[in-house]
Amino acid sequence: MAIFMGNKVSVVVGTTTITDHVSTVSLAREIDQVEITAMNDTVQNMIGGIERPTLNLELYNDFASASVNSLFEDALGTKLNIKLVPVSGTVSSTNPSYTMSCLISSWTPVNGAVDAVASVSVSLPVTALTKSTSA
Amino acid sequence: MTPSTVRTNLKTALSTITGMRVFDYVPDSTNIPTNNAFAIVGQLNMNYDFTLNRGFDSATCQIIVVVGRMSEKDGQSRLDGLLASSGSTSIKTAIEADKTLSGAVQTLRVVSASPGTITSANIDYLSYQYSVELIG
Repeated sequence: MAIFMGNKVSVVVGTTTITDHVSTVSLAREIDQVEITAMNDTVQNMIGGIERPTLNLELYNDFASASVNSLFEDALGTKLNIKLVPVSGTVSSTNPSYTMSCLISSWTPVNGAVDAVASVSVSLPVTALTKSTSA
Repeated sequence: MTPSTVRTNLKTALSTITGMRVFDYVPDSTNIPTNNAFAIVGQLNMNYDFTLNRGFDSATCQIIVVVGRMSEKDGQSRLDGLLASSGSTSIKTAIEADKTLSGAVQTLRVVSASPGTITSANIDYLSYQYSVELIG
């Protein structure tokens, strides 16, 4: 694997591929920083706490059956399984997949502007995350 | 988005305006009868990768509409009708009547129209240049 363009990310919600309605996707993995600085430390001391990943999506909305809006709006308040592959195609050690469960904590079904395509920007908390090199 | 299909379907949409002749090139002869007009559908200015994994692209298409000589009052009146945002002679209405161009694109919008002239055989003709944004 070499440096690669980030424009071929595969985005699958449940069993539905919505890649062609996604303009931006990012998965941020962040670990809580838990401070354990003691009296005898001269520099703050930290240990890693719990992971709090976030999935950010910029989507073009579509009210067609089983398309973007129904997938997300119908799941509002519940969790969806979402799978990302950095380069659409075969999953491998150099192209791992990330499968996650996301809480659909917000959704914007209507977002109009006179000069823009209807789009939705969401930031979803990830509640389970698996990285795989084979599927 | 298949450029040739988009241009063909844009021409079809423009042809629904009574008296409008549509070309995809500047015709050699610009003998325009009174109360008539012609439109030239230009090439697409493509912007690739509007969505991920070669999903959709975006493009801009310039359409030039020519109605008559600068000195003709009828030509100016004709342009007013074409420039209107609605009505049976409105370019915007004709193109946006089917925003998918029979499935050739996901959506489109007629964004702007700018006045100008086009010169043929040393004669200045009234014209407008329309800009159409397409996604598909």
